[in-house]
Amino acid sequence: MRHPRSGPGAGKRRGRGPRIPATTLRKQQAALANVDQITGAKIPKSFVFSRGKLPSTLRHLQHDLRKVMLPYTALNLKEKKRNNLKDFVNVAGPLGVTHFLILSSPKSLPHLRFANSPQGPTFTFQIEEYALAADIANSQKRPRCPPGIFKNSPLVVLSGFSGLGNPFESLVEYFQHMVPAVDPSTVKLAECQRILLLKFDKEKEVIDFRHYSIKLQPVGVSRRIRKLMQNNQVPDLRDLKDVSDYVTKAGYGSESEVDDEAATVSLPSDVDKLNQASRKSAVRLQEIGPRITMRLVKVEAGLCSGDVLYPWPVEKEAGGKKGNVTEEEIEGQEETDDGLEDESEDEMEE
Amino acid sequence: MAAAAAEAVSAPPSAGSAGSLGKRKARPKGKGSKSKARKKLARSDQDDSVHRRRNKPSAKFLKLLRKRAQDYNSDDDEEYGEQEEEDRPPRPRRRDDGDEEEEALSHSDKDEDEEVEGASTSAVTRFEEGCRAFRVAFLKIMAKKLPDDPLGPILSAHKKLVAAKLAEEVEERKPKGEARKEKRVAAEKGHVIPKDHLDSKEKELIKVATKGVVRLFNAVSKAQKPRKDLNPSRTKDAKVLAKERKNTFLSELDMPSHQEIKSQAPSNFSKRTGKDEDEDEPAWAPLRDTYMLGSKLKDWDKMKDSTAASEQAKVHIGESSGEK
Repeated sequence: MRHPRSGPGAGKRRGRGPRIPATTLRKQQAALANVDQITGAKIPKSFVFSRGKLPSTLRHLQHDLRKVMLPYTALNLKEKKRNNLKDFVNVAGPLGVTHFLILSSPKSLPHLRFANSPQGPTFTFQIEEYALAADIANSQKRPRCPPGIFKNSPLVVLSGFSGLGNPFESLVEYFQHMVPAVDPSTVKLAECQRILLLKFDKEKEVIDFRHYSIKLQPVGVSRRIRKLMQNNQVPDLRDLKDVSDYVTKAGYGSESEVDDEAATVSLPSDVDKLNQASRKSAVRLQEIGPRITMRLVKVEAGLCSGDVLYPWPVEKEAGGKKGNVTEEEIEGQEETDDGLEDESEDEMEE
Repeated sequence: MAAAAAEAVSAPPSAGSAGSLGKRKARPKGKGSKSKARKKLARSDQDDSVHRRRNKPSAKFLKLLRKRAQDYNSDDDEEYGEQEEEDRPPRPRRRDDGDEEEEALSHSDKDEDEEVEGASTSAVTRFEEGCRAFRVAFLKIMAKKLPDDPLGPILSAHKKLVAAKLAEEVEERKPKGEARKEKRVAAEKGHVIPKDHLDSKEKELIKVATKGVVRLFNAVSKAQKPRKDLNPSRTKDAKVLAKERKNTFLSELDMPSHQEIKSQAPSNFSKRTGKDEDEDEPAWAPLRDTYMLGSKLKDWDKMKDSTAASEQAKVHIGESSGEK
């Protein structure tokens, strides 16, 4: 006699308990995707898109910004001319997208807006200078951008923001929350492969946006041996009488090794074959991704609407730079989640 | 060629003429027997062949031949006039032998009739003159030096047309090209292509970033390195470990220890630090007892104070640390 539950439908359950209907299962999985498994906090996701027609270089910049925000962003987000901000807000809700990066070019001056969805503050920056990722790769002798580094979020490093007061304080908060938090007790160093630097230049009052890739190099190992371990190829020992000649040959050090004193870390675990636990490794950064110099021009309390908090409003109302006020957003308070900042914080201030 | 044509055309008439001549001559004579007529015919043929050399055909006949040749050539009308003139000089010479006429010709055969020769003379001469004229004209053209014109050796009127069209096109393109250039320049506004990688400013930035990374990594290594003296499974040690971890991490990051803020938001952190389970705090969030308990909305009235406090603390730290 056949077992009543051995039909094809129940065959996959394999003792998992009562059967959950498919819709509920999907919802559970969708909900799980939004939540970071380890810290339990919501993973911030972002949309990078543009308003209005952009020239081709700015479109490349938009693509580069999407790569910076990977993996929690839509790399191939397609937008139509008729989509307005409300559409994006509506789509963002169910997907769990919290941050918007909006590129625009009013009067042929490129602007970049960072906003919190749905009722968060909006920070508008004017881009004074920018360089594309491709330009940077062209200017380097050995560009390094392995595709695997985009599997994890970048680390955010903020510098020069101390003691500035509002609105920069809220800006700092925003940048910290733009990427998922890093828990030092559980994070794997192999996963920290990118770094996003935002440095505030006090003289010029601009923010420098840089994007680097992290490379760990073992210290104290001569160049030859390191290359040997990397390449896994048998070296050419024709001219040498003894292996020790090869190993102990004094090679010249590269010019950047002088800085390594400050950049040395001791690794807690094996990062890869070369960088073993309890060994000293040097941290070497190489620039990838776009390079932006931007100046804060406006802060609004709502999503591209609402009160203008910075520059300090004069008597008359300061009109928005772009006429894209879609609807009157509720003037909510700025979302300050920093009340719960605990050890799962990766922000570093200097 | 014309001579041969004339030859062909005039061959049948010559035979006809010879026959008619013979008949003409035979008729006045041959009123008697037929044999005599036949003999006479035979003799007349012979005579004809001799006659042909000796006697010139009548002017009327020559004119006819010439007309036929002329029609065939179908050239200008003035040739007809030339032909008239040509008729006259050959006429007084008709009494002479045909050799003299043959000397005047270059292409004709000696066996040809005089009529043939007469007709073909004019045709060949016309051809010869035409050839000469063509040769002269052709050499003149080849000898001409052309101006170096990009439009090529074309007729002057067409040249002007083409030149005008080109000028128009160039004019149209100029403003369009300028507009496009302006657009492109405006599009590239702000786009700076880095000339030299790693100039001093970039090096500074990289140093800053490196410092940040180093600090994080050191904190991570301190947090993750197994502590040998304390046994994680023991409760008391677990508490100590956790506290130490948090403190060291926060001190690494130069942030205020939450001990300061603890007083303001006791609910959150007391739960975190005061946990005393049998095991170390589970890594997976939902297993922790404090999961979702410290939710944002719970202490909303205290949240403002805590944020204010943390901000003050940060500012304080910022000022104290200064620019590193």
